[in-house]
Amino acid sequence: MPSSICWKCLSTTLTQPLRHGSIKPRIPIYLPTLAFSTTPSFQLPLPAKKSSGVKVTPKKGTKSLVIKKGKFQAENRARRPAPGERKALRKRIVLSNVNALEVQGMQNIEVENMSDQRVEGQVLRLPGPIVDQLRAVEAFKPTQSWGLFQSPGTLMRRETVDMGKLIADMSGEEGGSRRTVKMVLVGEKGSGKSMMLLQAMTMAFLKGWTVINLPEAQDITIGHTSYQPLPSSPPSYIQPAYLTNLLRNLPTANPHLESLQFSQPTSSDLPIPIPPNISLARLASLGASDPEIAYPIFNLLITELLSPGRPPVFLGLDGLAHAMQDGTGYTAPNLKPIHPYQLMILEWYFKFLAGRRRLPNGGIVMAATSQSNAPKVPSLDLALSKLEGSVVTRAGQTVPQKERNPFMRYDERVMDTLKPGRGIQVQRLPGLSKEEARGLMEYWAKSGMVRERVSEGLVAEKWAVSGGGVVGELERAVIRMRV
Amino acid sequence: MATKFTFSLPLRISYQCPQCRTHSARSIRNASMPRPFSTASSTRAIAAPAIDFSSTDKVPPPNMQNARVVPASPSYFSGRPDFTDNLLSLQALLRKYQTLPTVAPGQAPRVAWRTVSQYRLLVGEPVRASKYHQIIEVLKRLNQIHPAVMPPDLHAAMQIYKRDLNPYAVVKRPAIIDADGRACGIGRRKSSSAKVYLVPGEGEVLVNGKSINHVFGRVHDRESALWPLKATNRVDKYNVWALVSGGGTTGQAEALTLGTAKALMVHEPDLKPALRRAGCVTRDPRRVERKKPGKLKARKMPAWVKR
Repeated sequence: MPSSICWKCLSTTLTQPLRHGSIKPRIPIYLPTLAFSTTPSFQLPLPAKKSSGVKVTPKKGTKSLVIKKGKFQAENRARRPAPGERKALRKRIVLSNVNALEVQGMQNIEVENMSDQRVEGQVLRLPGPIVDQLRAVEAFKPTQSWGLFQSPGTLMRRETVDMGKLIADMSGEEGGSRRTVKMVLVGEKGSGKSMMLLQAMTMAFLKGWTVINLPEAQDITIGHTSYQPLPSSPPSYIQPAYLTNLLRNLPTANPHLESLQFSQPTSSDLPIPIPPNISLARLASLGASDPEIAYPIFNLLITELLSPGRPPVFLGLDGLAHAMQDGTGYTAPNLKPIHPYQLMILEWYFKFLAGRRRLPNGGIVMAATSQSNAPKVPSLDLALSKLEGSVVTRAGQTVPQKERNPFMRYDERVMDTLKPGRGIQVQRLPGLSKEEARGLMEYWAKSGMVRERVSEGLVAEKWAVSGGGVVGELERAVIRMRV
Repeated sequence: MATKFTFSLPLRISYQCPQCRTHSARSIRNASMPRPFSTASSTRAIAAPAIDFSSTDKVPPPNMQNARVVPASPSYFSGRPDFTDNLLSLQALLRKYQTLPTVAPGQAPRVAWRTVSQYRLLVGEPVRASKYHQIIEVLKRLNQIHPAVMPPDLHAAMQIYKRDLNPYAVVKRPAIIDADGRACGIGRRKSSSAKVYLVPGEGEVLVNGKSINHVFGRVHDRESALWPLKATNRVDKYNVWALVSGGGTTGQAEALTLGTAKALMVHEPDLKPALRRAGCVTRDPRRVERKKPGKLKARKMPAWVKR
């Protein structure tokens, strides 16, 4: 049957909507919209070369380079890794090693001992269920050397015990302790900022808190997940795939969500009908089942978690500089780069960090900076320096507070978030003390990673070599560099 | 009978002072007086002094036909007249003073004698090393005379054979611990140099005002820098504050090794043998070898090409 419109008209309908109502469009109209793809065109495979037909043979008497296809070349037909296989290998987290010695008499980290002064300088084992929860919030990093030991353990340094005290204190029943602590972890490379985040999350889990962690701000901003605009002004963008993943991991990370009942909201603008009396864990998995509804479900879940009577909340973020840099890997329809604050998930997090939103049941908002993988963000450096004030190092040097450079352009959104007076603490992680370094090295020795006797001299030497007990450097010097 | 007449050839007395119109004192110089460096042949000094025709006390030779020029020194007719004169005068001095008391062997003051090439430059004669050795032998014997009874003329005579700078006279200034308890040591390696201050402490290390792990990315370099303290088990006994400049990271780390060891030896001199066993006392003199023409680097040859 011939179509009711001619071919010329058909081609115009594909590009512009029909104006006159006389002809009803039977064909779906495809409006050209900006494709949300950041893959550059040069990544397309090159078109196959046409054979020219005429083969140019070298002149007689001239020698041409002939590379014989040897046996090796012919046989090199190994299977190429599947897409994502290499990345999975790179991001693989190994948490135990059966070849490592089992450390006798190693305590588990418990609610009882997490704020105990006596465990300071000891390495405590992370209990199995907590390990699963930490895995779910992606607290472990592939660069950390968990795979060298029988079971994952963590050093209780002075700052950890202080954090344990804080978490224990905030978990109390008194109304006064239900406050929101906002904290940014700073310190030199390898000083244990990500590990501090992990320890804080461990202790929050032990106390039955709800933990929501954004494990790597880089993953949010480099433009590797899909994104779509929200009908808001100024424009904001959600990342459905990222949110889906977050929601999927939430029930695993927080098993107590099973026991928390979803209270039916008054507003009826839910994307899908939600059955009554479901648990929050079920609600999260509902959101994880479909990226389309992930954002409304996430909002619903957060509202639920912040409603009265719920446990305290821990909000973590690692790699703060990526979340505060000037621009992301995403572009707006006007081809301008999207600012990280326009990404819904980061904007949401920064509201809590800046104190524009409170955690009514109490909780901690903790962000860790990174020194090894971080873009240069002068605004962040300045803001943190202003929050921290001048620093006196252990060697007695005074590092003065940074001043605003009149020739530098600062990001006012970042400066506003980390403005002094918002109650944001800056926690600097110094090097370990010698006692802590000794405790750690004794644990390594018991695990079979240090062969020599852990003596006063060895501890002193490795402590000095690691720049005054910088724990990452200590690890490099003691268990990584073995001659 | 031929009359001996001290007479010099006018051509040979070419050195004349333009101001005073008198002839230089060089003509009467002998080996006992130090003289300035000269590349000119010294035989003209040995030649006879100028004839003063103006003086009246000298009677003209009665027989002018037989008058001839006689050189000042009989060595004039030898191949190396200055050398011969020097040797003879030293031997004469030895004969004169050989009865003076000497010190025990090995107790004589250490003297750096001029080398044979320096001596050749001094006299301007191609003196052989073996011949110069004869002079040195005499000088060594003369040097054994007890310094308390050393005659002034002998001392002056020996002076010209000594090197201008006596390396044995240089006394190293002893390193001290200053009022703040700091000991300083300077170390060098390749083209780096390090100044290390060591104070009693707990093992803090600051290099150029920075923590050691910021200065040296490699753990190996950090261990090199602290090796003297580690080898003597003193890491937690001292704090290190160092300034290091020049060269690359390895050079800087090893310059710190030497500087730290030297500063440590100020605090504890008894550690020197231990530090020497650890290889921290001697400066490594090796530098980058220079590039040579015809080579790609110091030794690397260009690739062989057939024609």
